[in-house]
Amino acid sequence: MPRTASKKGPANSSSSSAVDLFRSGKAATKELERIDQLYYSYANNLSGMIDPEGIESLCSDLKVDHTDVRILMLAWKMQAEKQGYFTLEEWRKGLKALRADTIIKLKKALPELEKEVRRPSNYVEFYSYAFRYCLTEEKQKSIDIESICELLELVLGLQFRPQVDLFVQYLRTQIDYKVINMDQWMGFYRFCQEISFPDFSNYDAELAWPLILDNFVEWVRSKQT
Amino acid sequence: MKKAKSQAVACSLDSKNGIKQHHFDDATTNSSVDPFSMIEDHAETDVVDSDSARASSSGGFTANLARKKAIPPQPAKKLVIKLLKAKPTLPTNFEENTWAVLKSAISAIFLKQPDFCDLEKLYQAVNDLCLHKMGGNLYQRIEKECESHISATLQSLVGQSEDLVVFLSLVETTWQDFCDQLLMIRGIALYLDRTYVKQTTNVRSLWDMGLQLFRKHLSIASEVEHKTVFGLLKMIESERSFPDVNLSFSVICATVLGEAVDRTLLNHLLKMFTALGIYSESFEKPFLDCTSEFYAAEGVKYMQQSDVSDYLKHVEVRLHEEHDRCVLYLDASTRKPLLATAERQLLERHIAAILEKARGIFSLMNLFLPVHSAIFFRQVLTFATTGSRALSSYIRRTGQSIVTDEEKDKDMVFSLLEFKASLDAIWEDSFSKNEAFCNTIKEAFEHLINIRQNRPAELIAKFLDEKLRAGNKGTSEEELEGTLDKVLVLFRFIQGKDVFEAFYKKDLAKRLLLGKSASIDAEKSMISKLKTECGSQFTNKLEGMYWPTYPLMDVRLPHELNVYQDIFKEFYLSKYSGRRLMWQNSLGHCVLKAEFPKGKKELAVSLFQTVVLMLFNDAQKLSFQDIKDATCIEDKELRRTLQSLACGKVRVLQKNPKGREVDDNDSFMFNDVFTAPLYRIKVNAIQLKETVEENTSTTERVFQDRQYQVDAAIVRIMKTRKVLSHTLLITELFQQLKFPIKPSDLKKRIESLIDREYLERDRNNPQIYNYLA
Repeated sequence: MPRTASKKGPANSSSSSAVDLFRSGKAATKELERIDQLYYSYANNLSGMIDPEGIESLCSDLKVDHTDVRILMLAWKMQAEKQGYFTLEEWRKGLKALRADTIIKLKKALPELEKEVRRPSNYVEFYSYAFRYCLTEEKQKSIDIESICELLELVLGLQFRPQVDLFVQYLRTQIDYKVINMDQWMGFYRFCQEISFPDFSNYDAELAWPLILDNFVEWVRSKQT
Repeated sequence: MKKAKSQAVACSLDSKNGIKQHHFDDATTNSSVDPFSMIEDHAETDVVDSDSARASSSGGFTANLARKKAIPPQPAKKLVIKLLKAKPTLPTNFEENTWAVLKSAISAIFLKQPDFCDLEKLYQAVNDLCLHKMGGNLYQRIEKECESHISATLQSLVGQSEDLVVFLSLVETTWQDFCDQLLMIRGIALYLDRTYVKQTTNVRSLWDMGLQLFRKHLSIASEVEHKTVFGLLKMIESERSFPDVNLSFSVICATVLGEAVDRTLLNHLLKMFTALGIYSESFEKPFLDCTSEFYAAEGVKYMQQSDVSDYLKHVEVRLHEEHDRCVLYLDASTRKPLLATAERQLLERHIAAILEKARGIFSLMNLFLPVHSAIFFRQVLTFATTGSRALSSYIRRTGQSIVTDEEKDKDMVFSLLEFKASLDAIWEDSFSKNEAFCNTIKEAFEHLINIRQNRPAELIAKFLDEKLRAGNKGTSEEELEGTLDKVLVLFRFIQGKDVFEAFYKKDLAKRLLLGKSASIDAEKSMISKLKTECGSQFTNKLEGMYWPTYPLMDVRLPHELNVYQDIFKEFYLSKYSGRRLMWQNSLGHCVLKAEFPKGKKELAVSLFQTVVLMLFNDAQKLSFQDIKDATCIEDKELRRTLQSLACGKVRVLQKNPKGREVDDNDSFMFNDVFTAPLYRIKVNAIQLKETVEENTSTTERVFQDRQYQVDAAIVRIMKTRKVLSHTLLITELFQQLKFPIKPSDLKKRIESLIDREYLERDRNNPQIYNYLA
C-alpha cells in the first residue's frame, strides 16, 4: 500500500480528506466484512436470514433476554420489517449505524442505543414502530389485547408505569374491544404524555380522543368512587 | 323769549314698565319739555319761536307757508351732557323695608290672616329686590320664613288625635293648605323664580324648595309620617277585609257590607307622598309587604277551606280589586308590583296544589269553563312562570305514565290522543288559543313521547295499521281523516322517525298484499300527509308499493319452503324477465277446492295451510313428524298452522289426541265428517303476531341503517371540508342527522372510517381530521 503520508504536491492539503476517505474506505470494507461474517454466524443456512432461533442465540451472546426492549430497539435501528427475522440488509444497516462489527462492540453499543431511542424526538417513532413490528400477518391492522398488554409493558413500562398498569388492567377486564389498532395505540401514548395522572383532570371526552380511552377514563373514575 | 337752557335730564333707567322716577336737578321752564329728550337744539327753538311769532301776527296758514324765510344754516352748537352729580341711591334700609313687607305677607299667608298689602305691590317688591341684586338674600329669607312656618305646622300635628281617620284628614288638610300657600308665595315671588333661580345653579325653584322643606320636616316629625303611613295601610286593610258589594265585578263575594273607605282621602294623601318623592320608600314598600302578608295568610286559609273552583274565583275577585285600587288611589307605578305580589301569594305558592286538587283532566276542564276563571288563569300563565312550569310538569307526568306503562302499550296511542285532545280543548275554549299555553303543551309532549325510545313510534305505526285496515265499521271517512291528522300530530313529536318508517312500511306492505286496506284513498291520503311532514324521501319507497305489477317489498323471507313455488317462479320469470321475485310465504293465500263426503267446499286458506292440507291428498292420516318432514315448515309455524286446521272453529282436520295444543306425537286425519253452513269457508290462520324476534330485527335494521347514514354523512362532510376539527365535525353531524345519536356512537363511526382509511388524524394536531381521497 503506498504511503499516502509521503505524497507531495499541491494536492497535499485537500488530499488529506481524500486520504481519510481512502483510509476509511479500507477500514469500512473491513468493517463490512466483519459485520457480514457476524450475520452469517447467526443466520439460517437455508433461508439466509437470521430467524428466531438465531436471534435467541444472538441474545444469549449479548447476555440480554430476548424479550428485552433493547432487542426491539435494535430491530428498530435496523428497521427490521418482520418480527423475529433479520435480513442481511437490515443487519448491515443497524450494525453499521451502531459502528459495531463484533459482538462485544454490539453489546457495548446497546446502552448508547437505548439512550438514543429514549430521546423524546425518537421515541414516538420507536413507539409506532413497535406496533407495526408486531403485525405479523399480511394486511393485519390490529393486535390482540394480550399482545398489546405485553407490548405496552415493554415499551412504556419504564416511563409510564402507573398508566400502563391501569390501562393493562382495564384492557384485560373490558369486553368491548378484542383488538387494538394503530390509532388507539398512538392515542394511548399521547394520553400518557398529555393527561395528568391519576386524576385525569384535563381529560375531555368531547375532544377527538379515541373512544377506548373515553371508556378507560370512565372505568377508572367509576373505580375511584 | 327766553331760551331754554340745555338741561341734562336724568331719567330712570327702567322705562319699560312705564314706572318712572325722575329726578330733575333744575326746575323746568314754562315750555313743556319732553322728558325723553336729552339735548336741546337752540337753533330749533329759534325757528319755533320765529314761526309762532309770525303765525300770530299775520293770519292764516298760507301766510306761513308762503313766507317761509330761508334761514342760513347756523353753525352746529355744542351739546353738553353733564353727569349727575351723584349716583342715585336706594333709600336707606331699602332691603329691610321691602323684606319686611314681604315677610308680613308670607306670614299672613301661612297663618291664613288677611294682609293689607296688595299683590301688585308685593310683586313689585320682589322685582325691586331682584333688580338690585338682592335676589340671593331674598331667596334665603323666603326659605327661612317658609321653613319656620312649615316646621311649626308639622310639629303641631304631632300627638294629634288618636283616631286614625281623623288624623289622616288633618294631614290632608295640612297638605292642601300648604300647597295653596306655597302656590301663592310662588306667585308673589314669580320674578325671583324666573330670574335669580334660573340664573343660579344649585338653587331649586320655589315650589321645589317648599316641597323639600315639607319633606324634611315631615321626616323630622317622624311620628307624623309613620302615623300617616300606618293610617293609610290600615284603611286599605279594612277595605280589603270588607269588600264593597257595590263594586261591579264582585258578583260572587257578597260578604259583610263594607266599611266604605274614604278613597278620596287615600288618593290625596298618596298624591302627597308622590309629590314629596317619598312614595316608594315610605309608602309603597311597607304597603307591598303588608299586601304580601295579607294575601299569604288569606291564600293559605282559603286553600284549606274551599275547593279549587271557588278558590280561583275568589283569587280573581281579589286581583280585580287590587287593580281597581291602583286606578282609584294608588300610584300607577304600584300596579305591576302589587299584582305580582298578590299573584305570588295567592297563586304561585299554590299552583302545584291547585293543579293537584283538580283531579283528572276533565274536572280541570269544567273548572276552566267559566270565563272569569279563564281570563284570570291566563294571567297566571303570563305573569307567573311557575304556572306554566307547573302545567308543563303536570302534562309530562301524566303523559310519561301513559308512555312508560309497558302493560298498557296496546292503549298507549289511544290514551295519548285522548289526553292531547282534552288539553287542546282547554286551550281552545278557556284560553282563547293562548300561545304560551300551546307551547307548553308542545314542549311537554315532545319530551314525554321520547322518554321511551322507539316504542311509541312503533305503536303509532301499529295504531295506524289498525285504523287503515278494513273492518273498521262505523268510522266515516271524515272521522278517519280526523284520526289520521291527530295521530300525525303525535308523530311530529317523535325524534326517531325512521323507526316509525320501518314499521309503517312493513305494515303497509302487509295490508296491500293481503288486500286488507279499508280504502286506498285513505292510504294515499296518509302517505301524502307523511310526505308533507317528512319530505318525499320518506315516502318514495312507500308510494312504489301501489302498483300491483311491481311487488317490490323489503319484507324478508322468513322460512324455507317446498317445491310448489318453483312452478310459479318459473311461470313468473318466464313472463317477466329481469325481475326479482321474492316469496312472502307467510302472506300467501289460496283457495282450495275440497271434497268432503258431506259436500264440496271451497276453503280460503293461507299458504302454509294449503301445503299441509294437500299432503292429505295422498294420505288419510299423518303424524306431526310426517307433516314436518314433508313440508319443511318451521316448527312453531307448523304447530300454529295445524292448530288452525284442527283445533279452531273450522276443523278440516282431526287431531288425535284431541286438544288445543299440538304436541310432537299428535297425528292428524282428514275430517270426513266435516260440515259447514256456507260453501266458501275462510279458515283463519292464527294471526301471525309479529314475533318478538321480528320486532327486534326490525329495530336492529333501523339501527344498522342509521350506521350507514352516519358513515355516509361523515364522508360527505369530510369530502367537502377536506380538513375539519373533531368538535366541528360532531356539530355538523348533529345538524345533519335526523335521528338522535350519542357522541360516543359518532366517535365509533369516525374511528371505523379511520380504520378503513377514509380519514386520518392530522399528524400535527390530533384534534383534526384530514379527508383521504
